[in-house]
Amino acid sequence: MIQFELEHAHGHGIVLPELKIGLDTRFSQHLIQVISHAHADHVPHKTKRPILASPATIDLMIARGFKGDYEKLDFYTPFETDVARITLFPAGHILGSAQIFIESEKGNLLYTGDFKYPASPVSEGCFFPEKPIDIFIAEATFGLPIYKWKPQEFLDKSIVDFAKKHLNNGYTPIFLAYNLGKGQEVMHALAKAEIPMTIHDAGFELCKVYEQYGFHLGNYKKLGDSSHQGRALIIPSNALDSGSVQKISKQKVAYVSGWAALEARRQQMIIDARIPLSDHIDFYELLRVVEQLKPKKTYITHSPNPDMVCYFLQKNGFDAQPLGEHERGEDS
Amino acid sequence: MSESDYIVSFKHFAETAQLIADTRSNSEKAEICAYYLKSLPDSANQKLAVRFFGEGAFAAIEKKRLSIGHKTIAEAACAFLELDYDYVFRACKTATGSSSEAIEKLMEAWPIGIQKRSPELHSLSEIAAFFVHLADIKSKEEKLRELHRLWSTLTPVEIKYAIRVMHQYSLRIGFEEKSILRAIASAFSQPLEDIRYAHMLTGSLEKTLERSGKDTLQEVQFSFFKPLAFMLASPLHTVQITDFSGFICEEKFDGMRCQAHIADGKVELFSRDLNPITESFPELQSFFLNRGLDQLILDGEIIVFKDDEILPFQLLQKRMGVKKPTKALLDEFPVAFIAYDILAEGKELLIKKTLSERKLYLETVSVTHKLPISLSYSVQTLDDVKSRFDIAREHGNEGLMLKRTDSSYEFGQRGNQWIKVKEPAGSLDTVLLYAHAGSGKRGGYYSDFTLGIRANHHKKNEEPYFVPIGKAYGGYTDDELRWLNKEIRGIILDRFGPTLGLKPQIVIELEFEEVQLNKRTKAGYTLRLPRFKAIRHDLSIYDVDNLDDVKKLYEAQLHRKRLKNFVEPFLIFPTA
Repeated sequence: MIQFELEHAHGHGIVLPELKIGLDTRFSQHLIQVISHAHADHVPHKTKRPILASPATIDLMIARGFKGDYEKLDFYTPFETDVARITLFPAGHILGSAQIFIESEKGNLLYTGDFKYPASPVSEGCFFPEKPIDIFIAEATFGLPIYKWKPQEFLDKSIVDFAKKHLNNGYTPIFLAYNLGKGQEVMHALAKAEIPMTIHDAGFELCKVYEQYGFHLGNYKKLGDSSHQGRALIIPSNALDSGSVQKISKQKVAYVSGWAALEARRQQMIIDARIPLSDHIDFYELLRVVEQLKPKKTYITHSPNPDMVCYFLQKNGFDAQPLGEHERGEDS
Repeated sequence: MSESDYIVSFKHFAETAQLIADTRSNSEKAEICAYYLKSLPDSANQKLAVRFFGEGAFAAIEKKRLSIGHKTIAEAACAFLELDYDYVFRACKTATGSSSEAIEKLMEAWPIGIQKRSPELHSLSEIAAFFVHLADIKSKEEKLRELHRLWSTLTPVEIKYAIRVMHQYSLRIGFEEKSILRAIASAFSQPLEDIRYAHMLTGSLEKTLERSGKDTLQEVQFSFFKPLAFMLASPLHTVQITDFSGFICEEKFDGMRCQAHIADGKVELFSRDLNPITESFPELQSFFLNRGLDQLILDGEIIVFKDDEILPFQLLQKRMGVKKPTKALLDEFPVAFIAYDILAEGKELLIKKTLSERKLYLETVSVTHKLPISLSYSVQTLDDVKSRFDIAREHGNEGLMLKRTDSSYEFGQRGNQWIKVKEPAGSLDTVLLYAHAGSGKRGGYYSDFTLGIRANHHKKNEEPYFVPIGKAYGGYTDDELRWLNKEIRGIILDRFGPTLGLKPQIVIELEFEEVQLNKRTKAGYTLRLPRFKAIRHDLSIYDVDNLDDVKKLYEAQLHRKRLKNFVEPFLIFPTA
C-alpha cells in the first residue's frame, strides 16, 4: 500500500513521503504539489516548485491572484514521475475540481479533494477511475445522516422562484453564495430563467473563467457598476454588511449553502430563505460511492464527524477509518 | 383527502408553523397565523391551534403535563429509526442544535424512517386527545409504543412540531406569546391593547381567543391572587436620552422583585417569574395584615433591611427558597417589602393610570397604613443621574430606576418607560476551559463557555492550574464567536458529547453582576450573569486571576461600608 500522512494534525494536506507528492499541501517541502481545486483552503501559501492542477483550477487561482509557478494537467492525462503516475479525474465540486489518482509499484490511492456526486451542473462532472481502488481518501463535510440533498431541479426551482417572487414585488432578491462555485451555480439556475444578475466584484472575475470553459452564466454585471433595480444580486455572506448592499432598502435575502439545511442558520444570519444547495457530496451518496468503488481501505477526512461515517461504512463491511479532524471553514 | 379535512388537520398546523418559522418579518408572521386562524371553521379548532402555538399539549391553566423528557423522546426516535443514540443521534443533535429538528431530518432521510411511515391526516382534536391519552399512560414502554404508533402516521414536519408541542415550550419559530396575541387581534379585528389586557387577566390564550371571537373582551375582570405580568425596564445604554425631565428617579434595590396581593385577610407574594413565594416570608404576611391593608396589589422589592441599612443580596439569598424559615433565620436576616407601585386598590385596577397618579395612591396608602415605600427624586440632566447613581451605590443599592411620570403600567413589557442604570460589579481575567455546543439559534456553534480561575498562587516555577468559576454565553460579537469556534479546534483535549475540554490557552476578561458563595463548586464561588467583556489576546494563562482575587471581590461586596438610609434616604419606613 502507498504510505501517506497528514501534513499536520489540523491541516488539510496529505503527504505521500515515499513518492514525494503532496496533495493540497500548504508547503512544498520538495514535494510535487498537486492541488485539487481553487478554493483558498486548498491552495498553498508558498511554492518552491510548480504546482500541478487542472487547467481550470490554475486559471481560477490566477484570477484570484496566485503568482506562483504551475503546470496545467488535463483530466485523464497521466503525469509520470520516476516513481508514480498522477491522473486527475473530475470531482464535480466546482469548475476544475479534481480527484487525484496516484499509482505506484505499491498500489494506488484516490484522493477526492472536495467532491460532489451527482456533480454540480457548472463543473466537468464527477467521474471515478475504473481500476479497483486500494486506498480511498474521501472528504465528508456533510457526513451525517441528517444530510440528504434535494434534487438539483428542485433546488434550481427554489432559486428561480425566490428571485421571481421578490422581483415581482419590487424587492431586490439577494443570494448569499460563495464567490467561487456556489455563486456560479445560482447564476446558472437564474440564467436558464433569463433573470438578469449583479455579481460581487470578486466573483465577477471568476465568472469570466467559467465562460472561457464554456459555462453560460447569463446576463450579469458587476456590483459596483450601477442600479440593482430588477436584478438578482449574488454576493458572499460577508458582503451583506457592506455599504453598497446595505443601502438597498427593499431586499430579501436567501442563503444558499449546504449549511442552509439547518434551521439555526436562519437566526444566525438574519435571512428570508434557506436554500440547501451544497457543492459537497451528502451522507447517503458517500455511502453509495464507497459501495460502488469497493476500495480496500477508506479514510474519511474533512469531516466534523469522521467516526460516524466510518461507523456506517464498517457496518456495511468496509475497512474504514477517520483521518484527522476538521471543521470546515470556507465554502460548503 | 378533502380540503376541509386538511384545514382542521395537524398537518395544516405544522406546515403553518414551518411557514412562520421561514418568515423573517414579525408582522408577516402574525399575518400568516391570523390567516390560518381565520381559515379554521370554529372556535374549538382555533383554541387548539393557539394552545399548540403558545402553550403546549395542554392549556397553560390546566397545569397538566406530559411527563415525558427530551431524552425519552430521543430514545424513542432512535428505537423507531433503529439508530444508535450515542454513536449517531447525539452527533446529529449537536449539528442541528435541536433534538426535534434532528428527528425531523432523520425521519425524512433515513431509509427506515421513510419505510415505517405512511402519513395520514389527523385533526387537531385527535392530536389533543392523543396527548391526553399519552399523559394517562404510566409505563414507559407503553408510552414509546404509542409515540411510535403516532409517528408512523405523520410527516417529518408534523413529527417535529408534535414533539415541540409535547415539550410545552416555545415552538422555536420566532413566534412567542406576544406575536400570537397580535395574530388573534388581527384575526378578530380587535385592538391589540385589549387582547393583551384580557390575556394578562385570563392567563390563557384559549380564553382570550374565545372572548375575542364573541366580542366580550371588556367583560374580563381582574381578580386578586392571580399575578399580573411585571413591567420591566430597559438598560440605559439601549435608549438615547439626554433630557430626563419627564422621569422620576428611584434607587434600584439590591433585592428581589415581588408582587404582593392582599385581600380578604389573605396575603400572597409572587416572584418575578410569577410563582408564589409567600411561605418563605411569613413575617411579610403578618406585617401586611397587622397594618390593616386590604384589597391591594403592590409592586415592589423584598430586601434585607437592618439598622436602617439595606444588606447585600447574598444575605437575602439565604432566605430565598427556604419554606417555613426558623426563628433564628428570621432574626438574622429580617426582610421588608418596599412598595414602589400600586396596581389595584379595591375593585379598581390602576394600571392604566399614569405613574404620577399611581404614586399618589401609593403615598396615601403609605401614610394611612404605615406602608414602607421607595422615595423618588426628580432629575434633569445626565449629571443629576450620575450623582444620584453614586448615592445609590453608597447605600449599597445596584443603581437607579428612571420612570416616566406619564406612563401607564405596561404589564409584561420591556419598553423605554422604565430605564435601569447599573454597572457591572467587576471583571476578572479567566481562561477558557470548556466549550459547549449551542442549541436553538446557536445550533452548530460552540456558544457557551466555561471559564476557569487559577487555583494556585502566582509563584515562579509553578504551572498554573484552573477550576471553573462560571459559564458565559454572551457578550461576544459574532466575529469573536466565529474566531473562538475556529481557535478551539486546535486546543481540544477531551470530548464529552456536546462539550469540548480545552487546553487552557485563551484568556477572557469576564464581566459579571456579582460574586456569590457556592459551596457545591470547586472554586467555592460562582459569578452571577457572567459574560464576555473582551478576548485578551495580550494576556497569557500566567496572567489569569486566582481564587484569592475572587475572594477579595466577594468580601468587598459583603463588607463594604453602607450609607444608612437616613442620609439621602431611598425609602420611607414609617413605624407603626
